[in-house]
Formats: sequence, structure tokens, C-alpha cells
Amino acid sequence: MFGEDLHEVRTRGHSNRMTVNSKTRWPGHNLFRNPFGELTRSERAELAVVNTDAILAAICVSPSGGNEARFRPLTAYQLIGECGRGKTTQMLAIAKQFPSASYVYLPEDQPCPAIPVGEPLLIDEAQRLPWRVRRKVFSSSATLVLATHKNLAPALRRSGYTVTTERIGLSLSPSQLAEILNRRLKASRRDPQAACPLVTVDVAADLIRRFGTDVRGIEGYLYDIVQSQVNQHGEMRFID
Amino acid sequence: MAKCDLSIELDDPNRIYSGGDKITGTLHVLADADVKCKGLEVTSGWRTHGRGNVARGSAETATLFVGEWTAGQRESYRFELQIADWPPSYHGSYINIDHYIDARAKIPWAFDPKASAEFMMRPTAGLDPDKLAQATQVSGCVGGAVAIVAFGMALVGIGVVGAMMVANLFFGIVAGLVIVPIVGFFIARKVLPKWLLGEVQAELITPQVAPGGRIQARLAFQPRRRVVLNSISAELNGTEVCVSGSGSNRTTHRNSFFSDHHELEGASTLQAGDRKEFNFEIPLPNDVPYSFDLDDNDLNWTVDLRVDIPRWPDWTKSLKLLVSPDGQGPPPSNGEDQRALEPVAGSTPFAGPPADEITFAETATHLWEVRDDVDQVDLLVQAVTGMTFEIDTFVERRLLYSGDEDPHLYRDGYAVWARHSEPPLPLVLYIPHELGDEFEQAGRGLWRCRGEIVGWDHQHRRLQIKVLVG
Repeated sequence: MFGEDLHEVRTRGHSNRMTVNSKTRWPGHNLFRNPFGELTRSERAELAVVNTDAILAAICVSPSGGNEARFRPLTAYQLIGECGRGKTTQMLAIAKQFPSASYVYLPEDQPCPAIPVGEPLLIDEAQRLPWRVRRKVFSSSATLVLATHKNLAPALRRSGYTVTTERIGLSLSPSQLAEILNRRLKASRRDPQAACPLVTVDVAADLIRRFGTDVRGIEGYLYDIVQSQVNQHGEMRFID
Repeated sequence: MAKCDLSIELDDPNRIYSGGDKITGTLHVLADADVKCKGLEVTSGWRTHGRGNVARGSAETATLFVGEWTAGQRESYRFELQIADWPPSYHGSYINIDHYIDARAKIPWAFDPKASAEFMMRPTAGLDPDKLAQATQVSGCVGGAVAIVAFGMALVGIGVVGAMMVANLFFGIVAGLVIVPIVGFFIARKVLPKWLLGEVQAELITPQVAPGGRIQARLAFQPRRRVVLNSISAELNGTEVCVSGSGSNRTTHRNSFFSDHHELEGASTLQAGDRKEFNFEIPLPNDVPYSFDLDDNDLNWTVDLRVDIPRWPDWTKSLKLLVSPDGQGPPPSNGEDQRALEPVAGSTPFAGPPADEITFAETATHLWEVRDDVDQVDLLVQAVTGMTFEIDTFVERRLLYSGDEDPHLYRDGYAVWARHSEPPLPLVLYIPHELGDEFEQAGRGLWRCRGEIVGWDHQHRRLQIKVLVG
């Protein structure tokens, strides 16, 4: 069927080649992966640069970590802020700190997932709690940490909760951003004892001028920067 | 600080392994203090990294040591593990896949020391033929259906706008501004090209091709009217598509890394009824990556066909191609059932004793070994659903809410998260009301119950078990 009868194709344009690279990637920069790629939930919690003191002071009777912590029942702490400002990172950091905690993410346009008991119970995208489930959760007296786009304080107070509200992502200092980004860089080192490219406070200040407090946007930008420079020799420049 | 340091030394770190090969090496341990180890484990597996959500899988796990080390003690443990036969190692712009040997020492009441060593894997076996069927679309007879749907949509759109204008002129105009462009766009893309070209048949004769092979395809049509063409072309495209985030934060990232344009015919004029048929080949370079689909990390190959008509919407069609290794793996000896019971690399054969002699520990072990492979889990769970076992569990936590759609929940009963004693397979236990006191008294200690396997909770990756009374 396909022999001499085949219509001969004419080629124009370009073609790229991609193949499996040599074993050791990016040795010049001491990196084994792009530091600004997507992380697993546990890696995010490990690398989180967050100050959870205010949350713990509000919800704990004795804010020591691990199994000794005691939580105030009927106490809720809600984090309100735009996407990419660190609500989930804060929640995951608390979940990692307390083995008794439960973290639940409520997906959009999907049935409400199972919600286990937890001390504290951390609910991400809490504004999506269906009314009936919300009533069940709020009537449990559990210590709650909620990440939400909508203020749930009135409903919580009606259920007898003491509520603390924090609006996050309103400010981000250059040193804070540099630490967030450098933790990612250090966690991606091929040889943990050797140096790798790091973000200076000046570069972080420049990034804040460009992207504001949108850390996720900054990480997306840096992913492309690293990807474009990592196979080149010379010092990595995080900003043009 | 970790109480001991781990390091992995592969015997042949620069070798490119084939799927299913054995990999050997030595795990070195240096204890900084007296330390009790509940299990020194090595696992062969793979992980993605890059812009998309992390996907991962494991092939084989071995426990090399259980016991105590004293401060300053150095030990070395040899290991041999089977490696996964899919996916291949791959380093792209948005997606990377690496194979690893991961080591972990389980230390009570301390962070577990870990170490990893990368190695390269290139598969030899082809893809599952079932997946092949889904990969390509043959478009020969869909044109009529498309035209009927388009015509129907146009009628519905006009009808809706008309009815709304009668009911309320303002809303009618607003609806018209939304609906008319959508219907117009659809007509322009699908119907107008067919009005000139007639039925266009396009198909891949070789929907699965190995690198270095030739893609064979066919494009045929018979114009209904005289038509002037700028060109007829086929373009082979390779694209990385990955998704980061979840829920409303899901973002899709695309990176086109390969494009090879072939012009099948240049500018020409076709008369009505002149049948045009192109049987053509596109060479696939021998260094291109394979197609894969790993949750939120896909590498797609397509042949994109275009009939470029001046001052008229172009006819386009995208045909999905599977680029896979040309070697064929051994066929399953006993059909689908055999596949259902076939463990992944590294686990012991599942289909041994009769079903009623399988213990829950054996079942849990098999599920534990394949827990990262959704397809394998589904097959195994399907095979054991409805079976009843004596089960040793540790209750982790009760559920405040177990979901409206959960059909397994007893009326007035409880749903709890638990884990099996060994391996620690996560479970959901559905407990009847009358057993509430019994499991409350067990607290966090061992609780033995009798239960029936009723399914798998994909979201939380837990085996669902309905606890039986008596």
C-alpha cells in the first residue's frame, strides 16, 4: 500500500531534537532539578517560610509543637487572601508541626471530600464548604484554621466560636522573599555541602517591584529563568 | 538533626538501564549516636519534577536491616532491586522524569534520615495495546455528524435569541452578542471548510511508531465546488503538557519542543469533483522522546493537518500519535484476569492460593507495593472486592464528614481512618453503630475486626472496608 505510490513529502521549517541527557544534569550550578518547579505537599511544608506564632497563640492553650500542644476548643483562625499569597503554605506548615492535625482541601465544583477530626482541623478553600457540612463542622467545637476567600466569621460566631482573622499577602519584604526562594534553591542542590546560585535581597526587591506579593507568579518567572540559563556556563542571573 | 547519615553507591552509576532490569549497589550507614532503626528500606522508583504536579511510582522495596546501631558505627548493606519498566528517564523544559534508588531509615521519635541516587532508564517494551486504541482518532466518518451538530446548534442559538428578543429586547440583544459569535465561530471552523471541500478523511495508518520509524498517514477529499488552495500541509508536533496546582488554582502549561512541517501540495486550484488523495510518510527522528501520560504530566505527539484556503476558514485536523519503544513485552498468558492479578515488578505473584485462603496481610502487601500505580490498584481492588477478612488495624481518626455520596456508610454508623498493622496500608473503616463502643475502647491500640473489602478511596488512597458485626 505504501511503497512507490507514496506521495513524496517536501519539508520546510525547522525541527528540534530532544533526547535523554547525560546522567548528571546541571553540574555547573550544583542543581539536580529546577528549584522553582512544583513541589509535593510535604516538600512545601518542609520549605515553608512562614511565621505561625500568631496562629498558634490564638488557637493553643500551650503552643508547644508535637504531641504536647493543647488547643482551645471553639476557637477559629481564618486566613483571608488572594491566590499565591501563602495561605496553603501556612496551613501545611501547621499540619506538619502537629501530628494530630488534619488538613483538608475542598476542590472546586466537586463533592465535598471526607473531613476527618483533627486538632487543629485545617480547611483550605473553606468558603466552599456546603452549608450542611459547614453546620456539621462548626457544631463540632473543633479548633479550626480556615483558609478562605470569604469572611466566615459571622457564621463561626453564631456557632459560638471565638474568631481571629488575618488578611495575608498585603506585604512581603525583600529579605522574606529572598529566604523563600533560597530555601527552594538549597533544597535542590545536588551536593548539599557545596554552594548553589542564591537570590540576593536586591534581586528580591526587584522581583517584588515587578510582581508585587504574588510569590507563585515570581516562582513561575524564575522557573523559566533557571531553565534558560542552567545549561550555560557563568553565573546565573535571576533578573534581566 | 538526624542520628545517622545514609549514602547510596550504585555499582554502575553511568549505565543506562532497561525497564525491568535489576540494579545493584551498596547502602552505607554512619551512626552519629546510638540509634534504634525500625527498618532500613531501599526502594526503586521514579518521580517527575518540573512545572507540573509531582507524579511518582515505585517498583520494588526491600528492608535491609532492623535493629540498633551504636555511635560511630559504620555499616554497609548490599541491595539488588528490580527497576520500573515505565516511564523512561526524560529531561525536558517543563517535565522531567528521573529514576531513583531511595533509602530511608525509620527512626522512632526522630526525623527519618534519607538518601537518593539517580540512574537512567530507557524502556524496551511497547505500550499497553489498550491505551493505543484510545490514542488515535480516525476522522473519516465524523464530518456528517459534525455538520448536523453545527446546524442544530445554529438553529438552537437563533431560536434562543429570537425567543429572548420577543420576551425582552434588551436580554435578547445581550444574549445575541454572546451566542451568535460562538455559533458563528463554530460554523466558521467546522462547517464552512466542509462546504467547499466536502467530506475530508484523515487517518494515521501507523498510530504507534518507534523513534527512527516512519509515520504513515492518509488525507483524502473530493471538493464540492471549485476551490483555490494556498497549500495542503501536515505538521508533526511534540508538546509537553503539564498541570500545576489543584482546584481553582489549576494551571495548564504547554511547551512545544518539536515541529516538523511538511507541505503535501503547494498553491493549486481544484475543480469540483476532482478527488485528491495523499498517502504520505513523515520520518520520525531516532532521538525523540516517547509519548507518556503520567497524571498531570503528559508528552503528546500529534500530526496536525491543514488545508489552507485563501479568504476562507482553513480545514484543520489533529491526529494523536503514540511514540513508543518498538520492542514488545511478553503477552499475558491468561487474558484480562491474569493481568488483574499480575503484580508490578518486584512483588511476589498474587495468584497463588485459592481466593478464600488469601489473608488480608497478603492483600495489603500487594496493594502497598502498587499503591502509586492507579491502574494496578484498581485491578487488584476489583479482584478482592467482596472478600471478607480478619483485619488487624490501628485507628487513626474518626471522620467528621464522610461524604454524601458514600454508599458504604452504615445508618448511624461511623467512618474512621485507620491503617493496617503491617504493611501500614491506609484504610477507611465503615463501622456499624453497635460496634462504636468496641472501637472507642481500642483507642489508638490494635483493633481486630472482621470486614469486607468494598472499594478504594482514590482521593485519599485508602482501601475501603465495611466492618461486619460478629
